[in-house]
Amino acid sequence: MRRRFIETTLAAAGAVFLVTVPWSIPALIDNFWVSVITEILIWSLFAASVNLLFGYVGLLSFGQALYFGFGMYGVALGIDRLGLSFWPAFGLGIAAAMTMALVSGIFAVRLSWHYFAIITVVFSLIFYFLAVSMKPLTGGDDGINFTLPPVFRFDGKAIGLTDPTFQYFFVLAVVSLCFFLMYRLINSPLGKGFLAIRDNNLRASLIGLNVYALRLIAFVLAGCLAGVSGALFAFFGRYASATYMFYQVSGEAVVWTIVGGAGTMFGPLVGTALFIVIREIVSSHWEHHSLIVGLLAILSVIFAPKGIVGLWNGWMIRLGEREPVKKAPSRLTLRAEP
Amino acid sequence: MKDTVLLLAMNGLIWGLIIALIALGLSIIFGLLDIINIAHGDFFMVGTVLAWFSLSLTGDFWIGFLVAPLIGFLLGAIIQRLVIQPIHGVAALSIVATFGLSLILQETVRITFGATPRRILAPIPGTVPLFGVDYEIYRLFAAAVALAALAGFFLFLQHTRLGIWMRAVRHDRETAVAMGIPARRVYVMTFGIGFALAAFGGAVAAPITTVDFRGGVDVLPFCFMAVIIGGLDNLPGTVAAAVLLSFLEGLIQSVADPTIARISSLVLMSAVLMLRPQGLFGGFTK
Repeated sequence: MRRRFIETTLAAAGAVFLVTVPWSIPALIDNFWVSVITEILIWSLFAASVNLLFGYVGLLSFGQALYFGFGMYGVALGIDRLGLSFWPAFGLGIAAAMTMALVSGIFAVRLSWHYFAIITVVFSLIFYFLAVSMKPLTGGDDGINFTLPPVFRFDGKAIGLTDPTFQYFFVLAVVSLCFFLMYRLINSPLGKGFLAIRDNNLRASLIGLNVYALRLIAFVLAGCLAGVSGALFAFFGRYASATYMFYQVSGEAVVWTIVGGAGTMFGPLVGTALFIVIREIVSSHWEHHSLIVGLLAILSVIFAPKGIVGLWNGWMIRLGEREPVKKAPSRLTLRAEP
Repeated sequence: MKDTVLLLAMNGLIWGLIIALIALGLSIIFGLLDIINIAHGDFFMVGTVLAWFSLSLTGDFWIGFLVAPLIGFLLGAIIQRLVIQPIHGVAALSIVATFGLSLILQETVRITFGATPRRILAPIPGTVPLFGVDYEIYRLFAAAVALAALAGFFLFLQHTRLGIWMRAVRHDRETAVAMGIPARRVYVMTFGIGFALAAFGGAVAAPITTVDFRGGVDVLPFCFMAVIIGGLDNLPGTVAAAVLLSFLEGLIQSVADPTIARISSLVLMSAVLMLRPQGLFGGFTK
């Protein structure tokens, strides 16, 4: 009971915090941190795409930056070259990421573990080098800039992401929707299939699950999450660049996910927030903030091998054990454990 | 035209031998400790930086050939005790820990060595005519050194007590421990030797490439490719794959730009992974 109380309070506090960010943060610190929190939300969605594959299907992808990059370029090229308005460009970015995920997934999900990790990084490197070399189209390392179209027109007035408060709520809404859909997915029969494959793919195939198809579905959905975050990041930065497709970007998301807690819903959010907040705080005081980030990564896997959320869950379970055992209800009912 | 093809193919071959050294280090660390070492490219980079420091401090380039692997070995042994041992060979955690290690190594080098890339002049100047091309003598020398180091490493694995222990632990950890092989010591030594191989490769390669704190970033994927294409349990295969990949890339570079060459070797790599996941040479050994 106490555990549920603590977690509900925490979730409510978190929700209140996120909704009031545009007012509370400028009042408490300054405006700059609103954009940092916006960035954290976007990157946490990217980490969630790693988590969907690694934490729930057991596939460690080192190439999610590819789909992030496709989401970015879909938006940037859609607006800058094709002259699309906001929503079609958003859609183009997501569609480009999902298509790419489908095409590469058809090959990649046939492999597992090391081979899967390597082939995903190889695919992302191929397109990274392509993007760098096709400078007229992609702008290479410098990237391409674009001007934001309005999100919608209301009473003849254009409302767009140029307003930081609206931008924050737009990102919050999209990211929350994605996390909610992912939560529903994991708790659906499809999600149970994912977990079965993660725990033992041979057993999963013996009980009649189509391991290949389920992995492909997960791969495309993860590509979709990465694409949404890439598209959001393009809107947020008003540009797209090939550097975001490099393997180190994928690697960072893997680190954020594992440090936060792989296989937990909010682990990626916690890990991303931790690393970005530390980066922002330390980098303004000390040039060599990477030392602290590196040390933190090492310490966290040594002392919290299940991630921060995993550590938290462990505390909560221990807290539960200390509570007095409740008397069993007089009429015992049998039910299947989920 | 024929000259450039030859020149680039030779460059590829020699670079491949150096990559082979680094990839061997990656492979023994992976094979023995189940560690996916994201920091391995930086081990190489540390080697190039150590070569630069020993040159600028003593004025003698060759001291770097001794200093780089020695300090590399010590660093590797210390890192194994402090960072790798507490992880107990969980592959997912090893990625995060070595990622952190990579950041720390890069940043330490940036603080001490600086952020600007530097070049080391070839310690053996001059060129020698070879198949009608004037070829740098140092590159040929580097190839010879790399070959000697590769041969030395395989002899070490076959004929020394530690080498035999390493092969035994790699082959079957539990039996090896039951036979009284001190596995923990073997782990420390293996990580040290892996670092030393990469650092030695760095010292040999320093006059050929630039010395830069981000110098390991490009080398890392290449080493992983060599290990996978060569076959995970196949050390000679790793060497062959590194040389082959680099040689092919050199050949393609003579007709297309380097990016296209890099892309084609990546495509080749995907084909190998799809068609022969046991590695290109999987059928030939054992």
